[in-house]
Parts: sequence; C-alpha cells; structure tokens
Amino acid sequence: MMFLNNPQIDMRMSQFNRRLNFKNFSSLAVVLSFFLGQTLQAQDHKHEHKHSAGTTQSMPARTLSSTQAFNEKSWAQLLKDGPKPAAYLFTTTYCSTCPAAFEVLHQAVKDKGRQVPLMAVMMDASGAKALRHASHFKGMSKMYAFEGFEPEIRQSVDPSWPNVTPYVVMIDAKGHLQKVIGPPTPDMLKRWLGS
Amino acid sequence: MRLIKQTWCAWMVLSLLVLGMATSLPASAQSKPMKHAKRVQLATGAALSPDGRLWVVGLNDQGQMFMQSSPAQALGQWTAPVILNTQQDEIAAEGESRPKMAFGPNGWAVVTYTQPLPKPYTGFVRMLRSADGGQTFSAPFTVHQDRQEITHRFESILFDAQGNLHTLWIDKRDMPPKGAGQKYIGAAIYGNVSKDGGATFGPDYKLADHSCECCRIAMSNTPDGKVAAVWRHVFGEQTRDHAFAVLPGASSVASTSAQVQTKTPVRSTFDDWQINACPHHGPGLAANTSQTGFHMVWFGIRKQDGQDVPGVRYARLNANGEPLLSSVKALPDARAEHADVLAHKQRVVVVWRSSEGSTSTLKAWISDNEGQNFSVKVLGQTQGPNDHPRLVQRAEKMLVVWRDTKEIKVYDVSQ
Repeated sequence: MMFLNNPQIDMRMSQFNRRLNFKNFSSLAVVLSFFLGQTLQAQDHKHEHKHSAGTTQSMPARTLSSTQAFNEKSWAQLLKDGPKPAAYLFTTTYCSTCPAAFEVLHQAVKDKGRQVPLMAVMMDASGAKALRHASHFKGMSKMYAFEGFEPEIRQSVDPSWPNVTPYVVMIDAKGHLQKVIGPPTPDMLKRWLGS
Repeated sequence: MRLIKQTWCAWMVLSLLVLGMATSLPASAQSKPMKHAKRVQLATGAALSPDGRLWVVGLNDQGQMFMQSSPAQALGQWTAPVILNTQQDEIAAEGESRPKMAFGPNGWAVVTYTQPLPKPYTGFVRMLRSADGGQTFSAPFTVHQDRQEITHRFESILFDAQGNLHTLWIDKRDMPPKGAGQKYIGAAIYGNVSKDGGATFGPDYKLADHSCECCRIAMSNTPDGKVAAVWRHVFGEQTRDHAFAVLPGASSVASTSAQVQTKTPVRSTFDDWQINACPHHGPGLAANTSQTGFHMVWFGIRKQDGQDVPGVRYARLNANGEPLLSSVKALPDARAEHADVLAHKQRVVVVWRSSEGSTSTLKAWISDNEGQNFSVKVLGQTQGPNDHPRLVQRAEKMLVVWRDTKEIKVYDVSQ
C-alpha cells in the first residue's frame, strides 16, 4: 500500500474511481468473470467426452476457438457418454457439399425449437486450419478433429463407411443411430427428433 | 479517507475479478493447453526421369517440400533429400491432393502443388520448373491466368509425345455470384498447355462443366501421342459417375477461346450413383498399348439387387472413352481404396491400399492378358499413417511408390 501515499497516484486513482461508477463496475466484474470462465471451458482440449445428456446447447460457431481431438477410441466414448439427442457431421476441409448437409440438421433443430447439440468432425485438419471452416457450420456446438490414422478412426465409427463426406450420424433421445452419406432425408430427421 | 476507502474497494474488486477468472478456468486450461499431435502430410508424388531414375516429392515433418531420387539400378536407395524453395506457401499434401512431378524433353522437369488460400475451398495451382533435369528449380509461380480467390485445385500434369506440358485442375470461376439465383452444379475442369516446359503457358481453357469438386484427375498418354483425362463428373443433378476427354492439342488451345474448346465429355462409368456428397476418391487411367482404348479403375456405389454396393471397379474403355460393359469387374477387396492402374502391352497392374484398423496392406491385381483375368498379390504391409500408393511408369518399367511415416518403399511390378 506504499503507493497510496503517492499523491500523484492517489489523484489518478481518485479520477479512475470517479469515472468508473463503482456499482456498475462490480456487476461488470462478476459478469465478466463468469463469462470468461464459460468461454475458457469451451476452449478446453480434453480427450474424454463427458456430457450431461440433453444439456449441451447449440452455440454460434464464432465462439469456438479450438478443436477437440477425435481418435479411434472417441466414438465409442461419445456413444456411451455423449449427449442425446445429437448429430455428428464428418467433413473435410475440401468438402464443399458438407455445409449444406449441416444446414439441413440445423434447420431441423430450429424448426423443432429444440436445443440439440450439432457437432462437426474435421477429418483432415485440426486447430486453426479446421476452424477456418467453422463459419460454414452455423449452429455448431463443437468441432472435433481427427487425430491419428484416418481409415482407422473412420472404421471405428463405421467399418463400412467408404470415406465419403458428408457422413452424418444422428443419435436420438434413446440412443438409436441413423447414418447417412449426404444430407439426411425429412423422414430421417423426423425419426431423429421425434414428432 | 473516503478516497482511500474507494481506492481500496476498487482494488478488491479487481483482485476478485482476477481470482474469479483463475478459479473458473478448467484444470487443463490453467496448465498448458493440450495440443493436437503434429499432423504429418504424407501424400507424395513420384516420377521416372528419362534416364530411369525414380524421383519423389513430398513434405517433410516440418512441412517443407523435399525431393529425392533413387537410381534405376538401386531403386529405394534414396539420395539425401533436397529442400525446394516454395516461398512459405501452404501446400496441400493429403489424400487425393499431393505434390506432383513430371519430366519432359530438353531436360525439362516440373513440380506442382495446390496452395490452399485463406478462404475455405480456394487455392492456386503452383509450379516450379527445371531446365536441367531436376538438378535446380525455379521459385514457384501460379500456373493459371485466373487469380480470383476461388477453387483452382486438384491439379494433374502430363507431357504429351511432342513435349507439350498439359495441366488440368478443378476450377470454380463459372460459379454464379451468391444471391444471383442461378445454379451451377459442381465445378469445371480447366487446363492450359505449355510448349516450353513451363516457361510460358497458353490461355486457360475449359475442358468441361460440372465436374465433382474434390477428387483427383487421372491423365494418360494416348497411343497417338495425345493426352486423355478422366475425372469424377456430375451428370444431371447429382449422378456422380466419370467423364472422359482427349485434351486439345497445344496449337488448338493457343489459337481459340476457352468457350470453343468446351465439349460434352464422354461418360465412362455407369454406376448411377445419385449422391450430393464428396467421394474424395478419384479414378485411375492407363492406355491400352497392345490394342486401342484404355484401362480404368474407379470407386463408386451402385445399386445391385436393391442394395447400395460400394466398391472399386475396373473396366476397359474404347478409344472414345466409352466403357466395354462386359469388362467391368469389382476388385476382390471390399476395403480397397484409392486404386490406380498401369499397363504395358499385355500386362495390366491395378494397385490399391486396404486398411483394417491400424494395419494397411498394399495389394496388386495383375493381369498378363490385357485385363481378361487377374490374380491378387500382396506387395507390402505397414502400421499407422501411410500414403495412398503412387504408380509411375516409363515404357515397360512400372513401379509402385508407397510412403509411411518411416520410409518410402518401391515395388517393381514390371514383371
């Protein structure tokens, strides 16, 4: 507290406090603290995939600042512990037909007025290179990125999937899966989200 | 006193703010954030020079473009890698998009790659040229005249019998602007020709409208000295089969406008795969040198007895690129991926990668009667990440180059 005896600093602090409107500053501090905490949780690079079922909400893609590793064990873990309902769209940096398929999922969720997690899984890039594409996936909750040997990871999701994207997996509230190459049909969306 | 109280309160709030931030951090964010493992791009190009030397070009662990070669008498014994000057370009070297190399007459050699640009799905086709048989190379330059930040990707290169360098790529310059209300399906195949080994180029020309957007283009020399190409094409609204065309000669491309060159391509496969998706799985093409026509391999999904049956298939094409339907055969491996084909006289070699879990097996399907009958041969096996097999040929010499994280192997399939 030595510096409080410095009259110049005292004066600056006094001006600072007066400009600040103290009550608003306190509120701002609490809100900012909470906000920062939430944002940083979204940046986490955890390998485990623990989610409380149905509580994860879609959020604008612009808030994502990192990708989560998706290896050959991730899919089994997501099926066990991941959110339900949910959808995963597997894509690549050069898949120009993928954003339209994601939009079909996003629109279906919007039409239902539901908060359903929509995930993109980038197969050929991670981090900033993958996130360049985040703006193409409106309503994306999270972006995963393959880490490891691509065919091995792909076969862990579906042994018969022949590396065609978009590859979409929709998981309904009871954990039933529907898989499709390309955009899902209206019937599939209906089965996924319920009537 | 009031001032001290207010100041003290302000510092308390600031402290709480900092404390709040710290305590709200998850454990992994408080420590060093976990990073993704380094992604090694293994897609590698290969070519045989006129003296029979085998060359490869790819990216090293640091993402630098390297080149090395191996003498004809000791294939697989590589010279020390030489780093090429690519001026810090980002380079696509994964899956269907790989650096490439080709040798022409007069000591000409070229290296090409796709440089992804900051905007998603965009890129430039870049080239380095050599006039001393690959001993030294120029700085990279952009091959096409169009410089919009749009798709110019998945390039392929080949010298014809007259020494003209043909470059083809997938191009989206014909896409109508957003909101125009018009629809353009897929992308287009554009190309140009250089008569001087990449020193200068003729105008960009359009070979075909409505190609698929992200599969490699296969090229082959024709028996009459020209160049033919086959690529995944969108027929109608969303039927993704393949199209064939013989490329225009250097003189016709130089003297006519791009629109005049565009013809309806020949359909060379009939899987009737109706899909609005990206297969990431381009075809392979080789001239049938004992007769006319071509050998072709491709991936597709076709309906058989009401079921969708995916698979890599082989067929012979006539000289116009039309398939001889009775020659269509499925490769004997449900896990076959990224197959390619070579042929010389009676011998036809189809090579593919087959992965199960972390194990990948390199397989060849070999025919010594022009593709009438084939037998399977296992060439090699590896664990973990590896490239697709890359096939190279000069006359009767036929090689398979296969790179994994440890080495680049060479398999001679000539005999």
